Amino acid sequence: MSHIDPVLTKEKAIDTVTPVKSSRRRIVTALAGVSATVFLTGCATNAPQDTFVPKGPNAKIIDDLNMIVFPIAGVVGVIVLALATYIFMKFRDKGQAIPAQSHGKPYVEITLTIVPALILTVVGVFTFRGIFDLAETKDTELIINVTGQQWWWEYDYPVQADQGISQPIISSGQLVIPVGTKVLLRETSRDVIHSYWIPALNGKKDAVPGRIHLLRLEADEPGIYAGQCTEFCGLSHANMRMEAVALSKEDFAKWVAGQQKAYTAPAAGTLAAEGETTFINQCSRCHQVNGIKDANGKPIISAPDENVYSGAAPNLSHLMSRNTFAGAMFDLVNEECRADVWNAKSEEFGAKYLAGVSEDCLNEKDLRAWLRNAPAMKPMYADPSNLEKSNGLYRGMPNLGLTEDDIDKLVAYLLTLK
Amino acid sequence: MAIIERPGSDTTPAVVTASQSLGAVKRPVETKGWKEWLFTVDHKKIGIMYGVVAMFFFIVGGVEALLIRLQLAAPNGTILSADQYNQMFTMHGTTMVFLFAMPMAAAFANYFLPLQIGARDVAFPRLNALSLWLLIVGGLVLNASWFLGGAADGGWFMYAPNSGPVFSPSNGVDYWILGLQIAGVASLIGSINLIVTVLNMRAPGMSLMKMPVFTWMILVVQFLLVFSLPVITVALVLLMFQRSYGATFFDVSQGADPLLWQHLFWIFGHPEVYVLILPAFGIISEVLPTFSRKPLFGYPFVVFSGASIGLVGFGVWAHHMFAAGLGPVSVAVFSVATMAIAIPTGVKIFNWLLTMWGGKVWYTTAMKFAIGLVMLFTVGGLSGVTHSVAPSDTQQTDTYYIVAHFHYVLFGGMVFGLFSGFYYWWPKVFGKMLNEKLGSWNFWLMVIGMNLTFGPMHILGLQGQPRRMYVWTEARAGEGMFNLAFWNLVASIGSFILAVGVLVFLINVVYTARKGKASPLDPWDARTLEWLTTSPPKAHNFDRIPVVHHLDEFFHRKYEEDTATHTMKKIAEGEDLVRAEEEAAEKDIHLPGPSYWPLVLAIGVGILGMGVVYGVPIMVLGGAIVLFASYGWVLEPSVAEDIDFDPPSTDGSTKEIAPLG
Repeated sequence: MSHIDPVLTKEKAIDTVTPVKSSRRRIVTALAGVSATVFLTGCATNAPQDTFVPKGPNAKIIDDLNMIVFPIAGVVGVIVLALATYIFMKFRDKGQAIPAQSHGKPYVEITLTIVPALILTVVGVFTFRGIFDLAETKDTELIINVTGQQWWWEYDYPVQADQGISQPIISSGQLVIPVGTKVLLRETSRDVIHSYWIPALNGKKDAVPGRIHLLRLEADEPGIYAGQCTEFCGLSHANMRMEAVALSKEDFAKWVAGQQKAYTAPAAGTLAAEGETTFINQCSRCHQVNGIKDANGKPIISAPDENVYSGAAPNLSHLMSRNTFAGAMFDLVNEECRADVWNAKSEEFGAKYLAGVSEDCLNEKDLRAWLRNAPAMKPMYADPSNLEKSNGLYRGMPNLGLTEDDIDKLVAYLLTLK
Repeated sequence: MAIIERPGSDTTPAVVTASQSLGAVKRPVETKGWKEWLFTVDHKKIGIMYGVVAMFFFIVGGVEALLIRLQLAAPNGTILSADQYNQMFTMHGTTMVFLFAMPMAAAFANYFLPLQIGARDVAFPRLNALSLWLLIVGGLVLNASWFLGGAADGGWFMYAPNSGPVFSPSNGVDYWILGLQIAGVASLIGSINLIVTVLNMRAPGMSLMKMPVFTWMILVVQFLLVFSLPVITVALVLLMFQRSYGATFFDVSQGADPLLWQHLFWIFGHPEVYVLILPAFGIISEVLPTFSRKPLFGYPFVVFSGASIGLVGFGVWAHHMFAAGLGPVSVAVFSVATMAIAIPTGVKIFNWLLTMWGGKVWYTTAMKFAIGLVMLFTVGGLSGVTHSVAPSDTQQTDTYYIVAHFHYVLFGGMVFGLFSGFYYWWPKVFGKMLNEKLGSWNFWLMVIGMNLTFGPMHILGLQGQPRRMYVWTEARAGEGMFNLAFWNLVASIGSFILAVGVLVFLINVVYTARKGKASPLDPWDARTLEWLTTSPPKAHNFDRIPVVHHLDEFFHRKYEEDTATHTMKKIAEGEDLVRAEEEAAEKDIHLPGPSYWPLVLAIGVGILGMGVVYGVPIMVLGGAIVLFASYGWVLEPSVAEDIDFDPPSTDGSTKEIAPLG
């Protein structure tokens, strides 16, 4: 092939065919490996937010679609990459003549257009059905209003007599639902867009201010299912987590009863009683505890809208019935007790969860650190110097400058909020 | 810098004599040194400057990416604060899309599109220079934020209301808006310029269906830009008025719907994806045939699939919003539209493979990158199909699985295509061959690095790790083979291998500049018109405007088919063809003269923009400069006055190639 410039013939010699061949094989193997790994991810059960382990019928609908589209993508990928590799090997320059300048064959083109179109039509039909199945809300059995704000979720259970909810329950940190029940979340937001996602129970749905979006959840088994806010929502987006707790129907009834239990003030003279005073002075501006009264017996109503931009702070009634705090960023229980609940067998789970946080189980370290200086624990706009544009309203909890004494009292008090 | 007419003496020095000039509206005549670059309107010089700017921002964006990967290498990373991390991923995405990918495609388009269609420049050379300078000004405004109170922190998609003044109180988002507006104007001007160029300035005989595929893809991209950029412009104007002047377009308390921003952003943002990838498809549609010694298989199918990707690309934007609460009907429609777009994309993959089928494949670095694109894009395309199933996407969106997907298509696709273009066209632009041995290192390090970085992200995402989190926690990491800790670490290590790969390219550039060997005229036995001239090309590109008879005109001038064996037989060398062109050089060659005004105007626009942050006086100053420059632009004579040359020219014909001033 005399037309090739001598300079280039030398260049070409550098890229001798053999090493290229073996290394290309390696890379093809690697690529196939990646595709295979992606596919096999379905078999792993180890990360709590694994998207391939459905624990309820909604997630199952998605998983069924995954089981169609992932294998198809995998097989097509392997075929195309194998074909590509074959072509690279087979038609490399071995000194053959320059081939005729053919411009392609229409029937090959048309075949290669129609075959993918047919495959995708099949995928499309199943997808259609999945989309409409997941949007079904007519047979809802329990409604929970879910409101996102920087950087935590509020769960509000409106009155629903058939679920034993005779007065509204307002909670945060953990969404508690009964198993085998078609739960409908009505999502919205008080500030920016957030997204509610419990992978084991369903895909995600954005919580958009000014709109109400519906997301169906249903769990088959009692247990805790982890989730995470998945729409970027500012500074502490990474720390905005959630946990869905599924209880058997009986246990759920007990939980509802517990949440509707009247407030009992701590006995006079105890550390906890002093803590109640501290709470009233320091915390109740933003945090509501249902039933708490001031020294004159007047009910105290918090006014978070005067202090916090979103206008809400977590309601701390029955705080110790939850296992997390600060937007589920921290555990309210220590590691040992947490493991005990998370790893409980499904029939023992309810009892363990309903036991709540005992003094022995309390994660005092993080709770105290949080009370001491919350912004140091979680990035928030809680520094008066950067509140100009939010009219002086905080986003997140500020440093209250509590003394160690105050903290001792508060911890004692919070422990009484069973 | 050729200015006008016929070859003149190379030795006549020509400089401006200030006393004799016509003042503000004279045209520059400098042909040497930095002024030559600053005031040039030559599409080739502008192309090179685009390339340099884009490469600079590629490095900036790359460093941002490395910081992100350092932060995420281990749980609870402390390299960056939450605030810094949010700025970092916002600016990484913004920089890579607007300041690297688009300008680098513009670099290739500027340099090669006129050459490929046998033209001497683009249709509006001064507008072309304005595009470049506006882009640079936009990039500077965008990045100035780092030094002026913090960069934008809302993600490259900048969803409302998180981008509002309360939620992003620094001025970062303001600089982001202004920088993108200015860079957007640059792209819009550039796209109109290139469309007019392609439609009006093709060499005689070059019908649209004889146009090289690279030019075709660039043409499709310019149409995408013309129709999509106005949408983001509107969105940015709304956001600017909300942030700076108290408007309430995205303020829910005033009745706004934040989804308005999402629709506007993605109506731009999805075509933008094809703006990024189609130039790379164009590049490898030149590279694969050249190194397979065969024409592109199914040229019309590749062209029309490119055009239909562009068209359908406008109808799939809501697939970015499957979790945004659109309702099942919209979701179903966009789901199916998204599946449909996989079909023309698949057509392209098959056509590239079949181009090599039966060929005589020569594995140069350019070819390796092109093949890399085909394979990596296939992986990214297939993960894309898994997102098109909307319910599945609600498990995938905003997780690392998406990050994996679009880095396979954008890094494995676009960046590999651009690198293929570097190696393929470097000898054309600089007359020197990039070193092939370093090229091989460059390629393999990038392939390995890229797969190690982005491959594990498939696992991370499907294991539930969301995007845009400044830390991840061991509590959600799991323990088995798919645990997040291991794969995050692998991805971080991979990113540094990738960085070394890019570094090898930069070393190759320096090495080639110093010690690289001169390139022969037609080193790759190429096929298209840009090779029918010297390397680097003369200022006026072609001594004679070629007359086109074939697709792959240059190849068909070199080869004819042996009717007996149906193989191709060489009848002429590239050198012979170029010599023949030189001998038949046209006597009248007109080229546009350089101009001060694009640069002045661009600076004025930059100052005008800063006025949004710094107040009305600055805005007035910028506006005055813009006005002044516009008048200068309009009143500028079409060529420099004879009197501006030193010694003054007395005959227009000798002003040409006055190089020594």
